[in-house]
Amino acid sequence: MPKGIILPSLSAGMEDAVIARWLKAEGEAVAAGEALAEIETDKATMELEAEAAGTIGKILVSNGERADVNSVIGVLLEEGEGAEALADYAPAVAKPADAPALKDATAAPVAKAVVATPAATDKVIASPLARRIAVQNGIDLTGMSGSGPRGRIVRIDVERAAEQAVAAPAPQADVAEAAAKLTGFGEYEAVPHSTMRRTIARRLVESKTTVPHFYLEADCGLEALLALRSQVNKGRDKPERISVNDFLIKAVAHALARVPEANAVWTDDAILRLGTIDISVAVATDGGLITPVLRNADRKSLGTLSAEMKVLAVKAREGRLKPVEYQGGGFSLSNLGMYGVKRFSAIINPPQSCILAVGAAERRPVERDGQIDFAPVMSVTLSVDHRSVDGAVGAQWLAAFKNAVETPMALLL
Amino acid sequence: MPIYCDLTPKTSWRDISASDDERHALDPTLGRTMLSQLHLIRAFEEKVLDLAGQGLVHGPAHSAIGQEGGAVGSAMAMRASDQVNGSHRAHHQFLAKALAYVAPEGIDPEKSFGETLRHLSKRTLSEILGLAEGFCKGRGGSMHLRWANSGNLGTNAIVGGGVPMAAGAAWAHKKADTGDVVYTYFGDGAVNIGSVLETMNVAAAWKLPICFFIENNRYAVSTHVEEVTAETRLSARGLAFGIPALRVDGMDTLSVYLAAEEANATMRRGDGPVVIEVDVYRYFHQNGALPGSAFGYRSKEEEQEWRGRDPLDAMARDLMERQIIGAQAVEDLRTRCQEMMEEIADELVEEADGKRRIVPALWPEESFRDFGLRGDLSEFVGARFEEQESFSGTLKDNVKFIDAVADVMMRRMEADERVVVLGEDVHRLKGGTNGATKGLSDKFPERCLGTPISENAFTGIAGGMAADGRVRPVIEFMYPDFMWVAADQVFNQIGKARHMFGGDSAMPVVLRTKVAMGTGYGSQHSMDPAGIFATAPGWRIVAPSTPFDYVGLMNAALHCEDPVLVLEHVDLYASKGAASAEDLDYMIPLGKAKTVRTGGSVTILTYLVMVEKTREVVERLGVDAEIIDLRSLDRAGLDWETVEASIEKTGNVLIVEQGAAGTSYGGWLADDLQRRCFDALDQPVKRVHGAEASPSISKVLEAAACASLQDIEAALREVMADQGLPLAAE
Repeated sequence: MPKGIILPSLSAGMEDAVIARWLKAEGEAVAAGEALAEIETDKATMELEAEAAGTIGKILVSNGERADVNSVIGVLLEEGEGAEALADYAPAVAKPADAPALKDATAAPVAKAVVATPAATDKVIASPLARRIAVQNGIDLTGMSGSGPRGRIVRIDVERAAEQAVAAPAPQADVAEAAAKLTGFGEYEAVPHSTMRRTIARRLVESKTTVPHFYLEADCGLEALLALRSQVNKGRDKPERISVNDFLIKAVAHALARVPEANAVWTDDAILRLGTIDISVAVATDGGLITPVLRNADRKSLGTLSAEMKVLAVKAREGRLKPVEYQGGGFSLSNLGMYGVKRFSAIINPPQSCILAVGAAERRPVERDGQIDFAPVMSVTLSVDHRSVDGAVGAQWLAAFKNAVETPMALLL
Repeated sequence: MPIYCDLTPKTSWRDISASDDERHALDPTLGRTMLSQLHLIRAFEEKVLDLAGQGLVHGPAHSAIGQEGGAVGSAMAMRASDQVNGSHRAHHQFLAKALAYVAPEGIDPEKSFGETLRHLSKRTLSEILGLAEGFCKGRGGSMHLRWANSGNLGTNAIVGGGVPMAAGAAWAHKKADTGDVVYTYFGDGAVNIGSVLETMNVAAAWKLPICFFIENNRYAVSTHVEEVTAETRLSARGLAFGIPALRVDGMDTLSVYLAAEEANATMRRGDGPVVIEVDVYRYFHQNGALPGSAFGYRSKEEEQEWRGRDPLDAMARDLMERQIIGAQAVEDLRTRCQEMMEEIADELVEEADGKRRIVPALWPEESFRDFGLRGDLSEFVGARFEEQESFSGTLKDNVKFIDAVADVMMRRMEADERVVVLGEDVHRLKGGTNGATKGLSDKFPERCLGTPISENAFTGIAGGMAADGRVRPVIEFMYPDFMWVAADQVFNQIGKARHMFGGDSAMPVVLRTKVAMGTGYGSQHSMDPAGIFATAPGWRIVAPSTPFDYVGLMNAALHCEDPVLVLEHVDLYASKGAASAEDLDYMIPLGKAKTVRTGGSVTILTYLVMVEKTREVVERLGVDAEIIDLRSLDRAGLDWETVEASIEKTGNVLIVEQGAAGTSYGGWLADDLQRRCFDALDQPVKRVHGAEASPSISKVLEAAACASLQDIEAALREVMADQGLPLAAE
């Protein structure tokens, strides 16, 4: 029996992905576990592996096209089956349980509850004429809503989409289109949205508009931490040096261990208290912000964390992070201190409850033994989701963090 | 006690047999030819059964072995220009007429038969085997043997089906006043079917030179004549219609000859038809080489008794008594006939892998399958076509549709004396029930024929006239539903004739009928026949919606060598429009639709009265619709070029027709459209048609059963909504 090649949910909340490139052509044999295609999800490109050995019977979603999770993107013939078997193939709606991502999920058991229900198989229903025009204009009908009966995509829908031209492949068309819309801006370059950019936009709008943020600020003295850092880095090669940020990650883990109520996820039905301390660390890349996760940060040494962070940062900048490396995480840390930012407020990364925004370390006047002295100080701002974390809990956490930063020897334990 | 007075039939009914005088007076050449024919036919049919026994005859092999006397006796009394047709059992009649035709000087039983007879036998056997060299190129086989030159009009597999066609040929002879006659051969089984009795009635009323030649062989397959009729002397049927009847012993070839001579004299004199009943016997079962007794419906003794009166032996005995031929010569004749048939068969059949088979090269090409379903329209080369918008003549406004109907027919009858109009009441009531034939009977009383209420007969008569070629019949069905009464003639005979007989024979019948939905004539008078006619490949269909188009399309229909249904609508009769002021000779091509309104959102395919109704709704709703008046509706005539170009533009199709769902026209069209135009369609093909129920007499129920303006509006709204452009509610 021919089997559908189903696009699995490769990351929590993933609703669709672009089939970046098929690695096997129609008629080509594949072994179980062999890579079939490169899948570009919101934030990364990864390989889709064959669940079973066979031959690629048919590719249904071609290179560069988007497919919904759980939709059938191709047909795998069993060994010995010929192409004529395709005639019998009727695509079945995949059960969510079939999606391998769930089996592979490395998140804590409790986290499973928050995995979004995969979208139902979204077969494109379009008139033959609409399909023809779509092909002619390079318009992807996936996800388009139709004006015909039962939502059938008809010609007018495709024509409207073509007019809006966002989907037109050539950037020049974007410029022309955008220029037509925006007057008074002079010349500008229109940069088409990448998948990542769209995801950032969607998630942050969702967060800023639906999550009730409140903000707690504190100044942390860094004298001891900086002294300890130079001590620790003595004799280390430059690439292996521990950064201030590494200390801060460790401090966040330390504070979460002391105030576990802040290590929480809001869902409609329950607040999920996470069992492991996984910290998402914001990394700026050319494509946008991404947050690789340092897992079990409370149990790892500063050196281990530092090494992991360096690897993740490189992968993030090269776009090679796997979903398991950026998915999940119970708390985010965003540090713009290296840019000289004094302080800022960050937007919570749903479904987490807190994000800590870290400003630059600067020498400020401080009171010491009744005298004004100058010491390195940094300002931090904790953004908190009030649905899951109350003000007092947030304050306790911030105090624990401040304490960890200002008495950093504990971080070496 | 009431007073009785004996009534007597108007005409005679007699047994006839040759007296000794006639036997002694038999011309030796005629007698020897009869004997040769009998033997040739017998040997031929024995070879057919032999081949059938080897599985080489595809389909039934209905032999007439034992019945040769009737065929030979009658055929020898005919002249070459006389004609015959017959039924499923007709090898003997076909050969007798054809042998007489190719050997007008007679056939000497003691000389070589020569190449002509051999060739005739081979072509006939080829046809029976379904081979390309056959008279009908293998299409007809055993049951559809036609060779027009020899006077063989074509035999028929529908019992009684060929009888009306023969009467049509007889009408053509009568009109041409040639004195030629037609024999229609059929069996005892056909005596009780309507087409035969209807035709006897018309033929007698119109004094047609046709002989109803009944071969009473006692058995309709296995059913004995006494089981199915009280008057088993079948020639008595003639008396009911005022047709003189003769009964004769069919095993006695000379007596049959005498009966035929007498019948011919009557017919050639203009005294109308004659019935001849011959008592004959088929030695074998309905088909194949087993005797009937093997199937238990008759006894071996009965078969033996009849074999004792074998027509070949009887003829030989007569001739030997008069020393016209010797016993050895008769034996040699039989041997030579068998040898010739053996040789012919050996040229058609070969041995391969230990099995006998048809020589493969002799089969027709598969590509021949559809050839001649209709003619090639080459008759229209040089025809003058006009359209109203570009008309070269003068137009006048306000012409009543019905007057255009009558005017163009008047014009054609004036210009072409072949044109004959026939139907119920077409000659009275100032032009029939609707005035469509107004003035014709006054001017052409001989060519405007009021028929009995016998649609099957007069339709078949028209088919026979058309096949003859000297007549261009125009028949009228007062209501389209009557086509079911005439269905055999319409579909089995007229529709299939050209194709079945090899693809080359013309069948220029014009059938007029009017859709009468809305007149309150109820369930049995309110169909639109277009859908049914469209299933019959031989028929062409035109449906004019304006007076101008009517004239052009009727002229084209009358010019066409194929049967054409000209569909009218009772609602159009009173409508008025532009028509040609003088010129009634232009044509509109068969197969050309007309775009009556251009638009971009939906292509509406419609015809007849629904064209204007659709336009009305489209204008009122302000829909950007393109309306195409199909005009030609048959599969060959559908103007795909116009239709596909429009759908390519609009992406949406609505088919609008008025009639009931079951027999509707649009079903097949929608089916073809979705395959031809799939990639151009923005939604499924939509349709407007009537209900499943036939329209009832009650005015309200009738209106509910027919597609209405509201139905068109609803469909238009749906077709727009489903392409994402819903119309505003009113």
